[in-house]
Amino acid sequence: MSEEYEALVEALKNTGIPFAEDGWSTSPEGEYGVISLEFEAGALDGDDRKTMRAWEGSIDVFYRQKSRRAAILAAVEDVLDEICGASWHLESHQHEDETGLYHAEWVYQVEE
Amino acid sequence: MPFVMETKGIDELLRKLEKTEGAARGIAAQALYEGAGVVADEISKKAAGLKTKRVKFPMRDGQRMPSPEEKAIVTGQGAAGIAKFKFNGTTVDTSIGYSRSGYATAPWNGKQVPIAKIANAINHGTSFMKKQPFIRQAVSQSAGRAQEAIEEKIRELVDKELSD
Repeated sequence: MSEEYEALVEALKNTGIPFAEDGWSTSPEGEYGVISLEFEAGALDGDDRKTMRAWEGSIDVFYRQKSRRAAILAAVEDVLDEICGASWHLESHQHEDETGLYHAEWVYQVEE
Repeated sequence: MPFVMETKGIDELLRKLEKTEGAARGIAAQALYEGAGVVADEISKKAAGLKTKRVKFPMRDGQRMPSPEEKAIVTGQGAAGIAKFKFNGTTVDTSIGYSRSGYATAPWNGKQVPIAKIANAINHGTSFMKKQPFIRQAVSQSAGRAQEAIEEKIRELVDKELSD
């Protein structure tokens, strides 16, 4: 497992947001986050050879109070800055009509 | 007596380069279409591999993965769509996805649902459905090949312009 990923998980769990690692053990009624490591992001060239090697994953935070937005973004992005440097971006920030929850999603890349 | 160099070949090359410059916009658009096609095909390939098993955890009512119906709606679109090209000065850009794919009747409630919304929910996940980032994965893994396809098309079209 990537040392960077392990450091990322550890740091996110220290933000105060109840994070679950690639799981659903947190309460959908309250504020919670999910950390996932999803696939090898290395692009393949025409001969199916890898041209780069990295793992890509995402961080999702679900929250109900709009006033929490700035604090949540700052907490997660401070960790991403520290662990991933420039290899992350805010992928989407959406509102779920069905549940009333806000959903922020970041995508990051870590070394193998 | 001043030294004068006359080279008809250079004049001809300059004339062709000027002509090619005028055709640059069309060349860029055709090349971008080639690259976008590589990414769109990869998205469709990933969509075909979406998991459809519904998963409900004992304590989390409603959590599920895309149903066979949701997968069928997305894969029924064939290749992901390529949006109309936008030209801005020397750049041309487009987007790839399901935003112009229209609506489908949802088998689970009979309502009209934008296909883009279904694809979005699968790709990003929701608080009640686990994500399957098939679009992001396709873009990430086909970027190199798309770039190669664009470069190859540009070379081909510039060579053609210069040889005419």
